[in-house]
Amino acid sequence: MSDILLVVFGLSLLFASITNMLSSIVRILIVQGLILFMLTILKTNEINMWEFAFIALETIVFKAVLIPWFILDTIQKNGIKREVEPSVSNFFSLGSMTAIFAFAFFIALWSGKSSPNLYPLHFGIAFAAILKGLFIIIANKKLITHLMGYLIMENGIFLFSLALGSDMPHVVSLGVSLDIMLSILIAVLFINRIQNSFEDVDSDELSTLKD
Amino acid sequence: MIYLYIWLFPVLAGILAWALKNTKLNALLVFLHSMLHLVVALAFILPDNAFVAALGLDTLNVWFFLISAILYFAVGLYSLQSNTKLTTRQSSIYAICMMAFVASMDGANLSRDLGLIWVFVESTTLASAMLISFEHHKQSLEAAWKYLFICSIGIALAFVGILLLLIAQTSTPSLMIDKIMTMSSHISPFWLKISFVFMLIGFGTKVGLAPLHFWLPDAHSEAPAAVSALLSGALLNTALLPLIRMLGIMRVNNLGYLASQLFMVMGLLSMFVAAVFILKIKNYKRMLAYSSIENMGIILIAFALGDLAGKAGLMHVMGHSLIKAAFFLTAGNVYNLFGQKDYDKCTGLLALNPISGWLWLLCFMAIIGMPPSPLFISEFYIAFALLGSGNIFVLVLYFILLATIAYGLGRTALAITMGTSDTKVKLSARQYLPQIALLLCAVMVPLITQYLS
Repeated sequence: MSDILLVVFGLSLLFASITNMLSSIVRILIVQGLILFMLTILKTNEINMWEFAFIALETIVFKAVLIPWFILDTIQKNGIKREVEPSVSNFFSLGSMTAIFAFAFFIALWSGKSSPNLYPLHFGIAFAAILKGLFIIIANKKLITHLMGYLIMENGIFLFSLALGSDMPHVVSLGVSLDIMLSILIAVLFINRIQNSFEDVDSDELSTLKD
Repeated sequence: MIYLYIWLFPVLAGILAWALKNTKLNALLVFLHSMLHLVVALAFILPDNAFVAALGLDTLNVWFFLISAILYFAVGLYSLQSNTKLTTRQSSIYAICMMAFVASMDGANLSRDLGLIWVFVESTTLASAMLISFEHHKQSLEAAWKYLFICSIGIALAFVGILLLLIAQTSTPSLMIDKIMTMSSHISPFWLKISFVFMLIGFGTKVGLAPLHFWLPDAHSEAPAAVSALLSGALLNTALLPLIRMLGIMRVNNLGYLASQLFMVMGLLSMFVAAVFILKIKNYKRMLAYSSIENMGIILIAFALGDLAGKAGLMHVMGHSLIKAAFFLTAGNVYNLFGQKDYDKCTGLLALNPISGWLWLLCFMAIIGMPPSPLFISEFYIAFALLGSGNIFVLVLYFILLATIAYGLGRTALAITMGTSDTKVKLSARQYLPQIALLLCAVMVPLITQYLS
C-alpha cells in the first residue's frame, strides 16, 4: 500500500514538470498533502489521540487545505496570470526530472548498503522531491511559483523524515510544522505587499539592489 | 524550562505593547528587555556561580549570549529616541518583532539540542524579515523577500542535515549535543559526513558564507541601523554556533580533517568575495555588510585551525560583533546627517558632526585590526597558527586579502570624514554613547577572554 502511495507521489512530481497551469501545481500540492497523511498513518504502529490530531493538523489542514487555499487566493487577488511561464521548456523540464529520479535512486541504492533500515524507494522519492523543489525555484521567474517549489521541497523533507521511522524526536515534527505554518503565512503576506509596490510579482522585477 | 524564562518577558511585553500602542512605552519595553539581558549575562559571567551549571550551559553558550546581550543593550539605548517618526501601530509591531527576534536568538544561543537550535534559527528569520521590511519601500521589501526566501531554503537544507544526523546514529538517535559527543562508536561516518555538508550549506547560508551570501548585503543595508547592528553582530554568530558544534562532533568522530578543510575553503572564499566587492561598491552600508562576510570567513579559518586559534576565533567573534555594531549604528548617524548611502556623495563628516566623524574613523581603525583592537590580537594568532600548521599559501592569501579590504574600507572611511562643511549639526547623546561604550567593551575583550579557560 505505502509503495503505491510513494509511486503516486513520484508521478505527481513528473506531472509538475509538464503542466502549464498554476492551478494544477496547487492540485499537486493537495494530492501530496493527502499522500503524506496516509503514509504517516501507515508508518506509525500505535497512534494515540494527540499524535493523530497533530499529524492530521499538519498534513491535511495545513498542507492539503489551508496553504493551497492561500495560494489560490493570492493568485486571484493579485491578478497573476494563470500560466506557469517557466524559463525552460516542458521537454527540458521533464528530461531533467527523469535525470533527478535516476540520480536520487542511484544515491538511495548506493547509500542503502551502509544503512540497512533505509528503504531505497522511500528515500529516493523523498530526495527527488527535494531536488525537484529546488529545480522549480531555479527554473521559474514568478515568485508564486518559487513559493510552490519551496512547498514541494518541504513535502520532500517531510517524506524524508518519515523514512526515519517512528523514533523521530518530537522536536523534528515541531520544526516541520513551525516551518510550514509561519513561513507560508508570511510569504503570502509578502507577495501581496510586493504586488502593491512592484509592477509584477516576478523575480526579474526584484533587481533594484545589486552591486 | 529555560525557554519558558526566555519567552516570558517578550510575550507579556508584546501583549502590553499591542494593547496600549504607545510609542514611548514600546521603546521603554525594548530597553527593559535589553537591560534584563545585560543583567542575566553579567550573572552568567560572575566567578564561581552555580547558575550556569544549574542550567546545563557551557562556555560557548554563555559567550554567545553575552555578545548578543551587550549588543542588544546598546541597540536598545540607541533606539530609545530615534523612532519618533513611526505611527503608534508601527512602533508596536517594531517592538514586538524586536523582542521576538532577540528571544529566538537567545533560544538558539542557550540551547544544547540541535533540533531546538534549528527551530530557533528559523524563527529568527521570520521575526527579522519583518524588521528588515519595516520601512516598506521598494528596496526594503525586495531585501526582505530575498532574505526570507534564500534563508528559508538554506534552513530547510540544514533540516535535511539534522535528519541525516539522526540516520547516522545507529542506536537510540538523539539530537542532544552532549549525548552525540559521547556515543562516537555508534555513529556511521558516511552519514555524518553528508549531514555535516548539509548543515554547512544550510546554516552557512544564514552566516552569509560565500558563495551563499547574496541576501546578506541587501538585507543588512536596507534594514534600519539598529536592526542592521543586531543582524550583523548577533544573528550571524547565532547561526555560526551550530556549525562550531558540528565541527566538535566531527572532531570526536575522527573526521576533523575533512571538516577543517571545508571550513578553510569556505572561509577563504568568503574573504575573497568580500575583498572583490569592497573595492567595487559605493554604498557604505553594503560595504559594512561585506566586511561582516569577510570576518565570518576569518572566524571559520580560526575554528578550522583549532586549539589556540580556536580561542582567537572566539575572541574575534566578540570583537567583530561589538565593533561592527558600533560601525552600523554610526552609519545610521551618517545616513541621518547626509540622507545618502553612496560614499562619494557624503563629505566633511568631521566638520559637520565631529563626534560621529571620530566614531566613524575609530570604528574603521578597529575593524581593520589596528591595535588596541581585539581583532589585531585574534588575527595575529590566526596568522601564527597558519604558519605553525604549514599553510604558507593560505597565510599569504590571508594577508593579501586583509590588506585589500583595509584599503577598500579606508578609502570610504576617509572620503566620508574628510572635506569641509559649512554647517554644524548636533545629535543627541543617545546617538553616540552606545558606540563609545561598544568600542570600549571591544578593547577589553582580550582581558575577559581569560574566562574562556
